[in-house]
Amino acid sequence: MNGWHGRLLNVDLTHRRTWPETLPAEWLQTYLGGRGLGIRLMRDYYQLDPYSAEIPLIFAVGPLCGTPAPTAARLSVVSRSPLTATIYDCSAGGRFAWRLKAAGFDAVKIVGQSSAPVVLKITPQGGELLPAEKLWGSTVGATVAQLDSQGSVAAIGPAGENRVRFANIMMGEGNSVGRGGLGAVMGAKQLKALLVAGNLKVEITDRERFDEARRDILRLFKASPVIYGDLGIAEYGTPALVDLMTQRRMAPTENFRKTIFAAADQYSGPAIRRQYQPKNHGCYGCPIQCKKSTQDGTPLPEYETVNHFGALNGISDLRSIINSNNLCNQLGMDTITAAASLSAWGEIRGRFPRAEEVGPLLEKIALRSGKGDLLAEGAQRLSRQLGKPGLSMSVKGLELPAYDPRGAYGMALAYCTSNRGGCHLRAYPISHEILRKPVPTDRFDFAGKARIIKISEDCNAAIDSLVACKFSFFGASLEEYAELLTATTGIEYSPQKLKEIGERIYLTERFYNLQNGFSAADDQLPSRFFNEAGSSGDGIEVPPIDRLRFDEELQKYYRIRGLDEQGFFVADNWLEQQP
Amino acid sequence: MIRQLRKYADKLQLDGSALPQQTAILAQDDRLLSFGAEALLPLGQAVIERLNVVSLVVAAPPLPLLEILLRRLAEDAQTLIPQDTETRTFLHDIPLVRKEEFSIENPQRIVELLGQRKGVLVEEVGILATGSVTVEQAYINYSSVYHALFVKLLLMLLVDAPPTAIELDLLQPLLKQLQQPIPLRLDDLYRGPLLGKTAILEAIDQVGKRTVELKLVDSFFGNISCRLAEQVFISQSAASLDALPGCIDLVPNDNSSTAGITASSELIAHRAIFAQTAASVILHGHPKFTVIFSLLCEETACKISDCWKDCDKIRYLGTVPVVAGEVGAGGIAKNVPPVIGDGIAVVYGHGVFATGNDDFRQPLATMITLENWCRREYLHRLTNRK
Ligand SMILES: [Zn+2]
Repeated sequence: MNGWHGRLLNVDLTHRRTWPETLPAEWLQTYLGGRGLGIRLMRDYYQLDPYSAEIPLIFAVGPLCGTPAPTAARLSVVSRSPLTATIYDCSAGGRFAWRLKAAGFDAVKIVGQSSAPVVLKITPQGGELLPAEKLWGSTVGATVAQLDSQGSVAAIGPAGENRVRFANIMMGEGNSVGRGGLGAVMGAKQLKALLVAGNLKVEITDRERFDEARRDILRLFKASPVIYGDLGIAEYGTPALVDLMTQRRMAPTENFRKTIFAAADQYSGPAIRRQYQPKNHGCYGCPIQCKKSTQDGTPLPEYETVNHFGALNGISDLRSIINSNNLCNQLGMDTITAAASLSAWGEIRGRFPRAEEVGPLLEKIALRSGKGDLLAEGAQRLSRQLGKPGLSMSVKGLELPAYDPRGAYGMALAYCTSNRGGCHLRAYPISHEILRKPVPTDRFDFAGKARIIKISEDCNAAIDSLVACKFSFFGASLEEYAELLTATTGIEYSPQKLKEIGERIYLTERFYNLQNGFSAADDQLPSRFFNEAGSSGDGIEVPPIDRLRFDEELQKYYRIRGLDEQGFFVADNWLEQQP
Repeated sequence: MIRQLRKYADKLQLDGSALPQQTAILAQDDRLLSFGAEALLPLGQAVIERLNVVSLVVAAPPLPLLEILLRRLAEDAQTLIPQDTETRTFLHDIPLVRKEEFSIENPQRIVELLGQRKGVLVEEVGILATGSVTVEQAYINYSSVYHALFVKLLLMLLVDAPPTAIELDLLQPLLKQLQQPIPLRLDDLYRGPLLGKTAILEAIDQVGKRTVELKLVDSFFGNISCRLAEQVFISQSAASLDALPGCIDLVPNDNSSTAGITASSELIAHRAIFAQTAASVILHGHPKFTVIFSLLCEETACKISDCWKDCDKIRYLGTVPVVAGEVGAGGIAKNVPPVIGDGIAVVYGHGVFATGNDDFRQPLATMITLENWCRREYLHRLTNRK
């Protein structure tokens, strides 16, 4: 059985112990790796408090990692989110995942709490805990610089140490395990960084079949205007979307009071290119290279980040936006939630922060000093505390990214059905509602969206378990990735089988959340989107979302998922029946 | 959604890729919906219920293409690998299911194969194709499989064993059609020069509809553009040429906006053609007989195995150049502009790029003329095979 090492590294920080364990082949074959394997490994722990000593923090790679499969040098980190209280996973690229696989492990499961800061070093010989008092308090960049001569690094910054609820775990190359605050879970364990080194290879069972699938995928990338087009993400990175979202009048502006920002052209893809002549970067072995940096290597922001530090806070200054992005990376926290928290706070107090105020505020958040302590709680908690819960633009406590739900009804529904809260990547309907991939759908119509969302959630859960990058699927499909997986492992996988795997993963997550007290009441958008119109104009009408139609489609979604009207499982013992 | 089913059932008749009385379309919303031939619904239902998809088309092509093909294939052949671009890029291969491999009670073999590929050929049924996002997607996949099957079989009849009397008899309706050229009706089309946005959008809409009506493109879209000063109007990616209003992007040449990220994957090729020629409009379609002839390479002792990518020769259909090149960033943009000076060029296994200096009459006319030449030539060669 190629593709997996079949090994898990256990780490108990309380007792300073590390030991390898064999992973059952059945789990690997039915949960693949990444998100799926992590979710399975959480089965006995999902009800624990995210800051409890016993909760596991799991790093899991997938069966394609370590092979030349395009965009597959990724891993997922899984635990429970201190921001949303949902089960949580996040996928990240870079070089770390590939190194972890080369160290001979499919997953690392970290439990316990160290009495003093430590670094976990992983090699094919196993795990080793190194003292890290001197690194505690350091930025991500400084930490990485101290360690990366010995291997690839994943580290937290001050935000994680101070339990900012949206603290990231940052890969040494700048990629982030973002959104849900798993950096705070790592900080609570006093684990400053992971360091991995190894050179074990992943064998491919059928090389010829693998190469053919790989060629098919690269051909599809070339045929995809979003990936390799003149105006696509290989050229401009994801800020290529700024102009499009402006034209579609769905760019969240001033805490979602408006959906268009007149000065967005100051930080659009072309504006960034004009001012910075960016260099291309990307994850290990990725042919797309969508990450951009300035000539001196400072990472340039993604679309979500430019919009949220830009339009969402009424800021047009690109220099300030890049600075905010850089600060978040160095302090180790999520850009979307940081910016959305500032924006919610801005609306509540009647004034959005000025460009020059953002940097100092971000530093306060990471240190939880002054006003930063409240902002470090995220938009939902701060809005409640300030008596304006309706002004948190979030679902299940996760702040919405840069696609206004009034401009894409599938996106509206998908924000609510996502198991980790208001995230665009779980079903990614922007792909068909806006980018016309694989085929276009009517963004202002709910018809048919429930099933599309369900299928996409299943597909993406499988993709997150392979682990491949979502951007690949602007060109390729599960068809080609199933081929890669089959060729690698020697076990026949079809797209249909992958969707079944994804469905099981999705339902497991939902089951965990429901057991933790979530219900249909949490599958709802903030009322602003049902009561207030977006910014209509230029022949595009952006009305409030019709609540009846939304609820109707949500009910359809529950039926298609086999859930009852309240979104609950029909069988209480559903989980016990799963492998 | 039932409206959608009807719409695409109608489209399958209009584009001539399915028999009206043997077309069924099914879709799953929170319940199963279906439209079309009663006889096909039980199989369709048995299949779609076992798949995690939105839509399914079950239909029979208007000619007994599949029947003829199966007789020509080895009995144990399990897949068909046509050489057209759609198969190469999107379908990869087309699985075959023989009649003894399934029943309505046990459609497992079909389910398994449709769990892997976008469409399959099923003996005595026709083509089954699915969509995982929309009803349109199953229609598109059906139409792509049909296009690939048509091109593959008709090419086989030219290069493999000559057609038997029975085959010729079965193909009579097609051969009769080929005796009638595609009409060169252009007078009602917008007359250039196209100088303003309104005129351009209308002209594009008109020629798009005509291209579909004349079956010069399959459902795999094609694309259309018009240059205006330093900008290009171009149809969007995955936009059906008979439904272009609202689906045209305006892309500035200096890339001062990236809103055109939704433009056709052939934007790169269109831009290169505009940059290297005096053309002001481009029409790109996939006329079937031109595609067949583009694949008919009579080169001997050629060492190239990946013709789509590696062939650097220029061949000719009459006087029209044929070059290789893959979709999007894959080579068309490099290979087509240098040879399209006379207003038309063919891409191996793919289709035609035709240009005009004033309006779309010229490219439509050259595309029709070439396709008519290929149709005549095909008929001539086929009926003279020994
Ligand atoms: Zn084409």
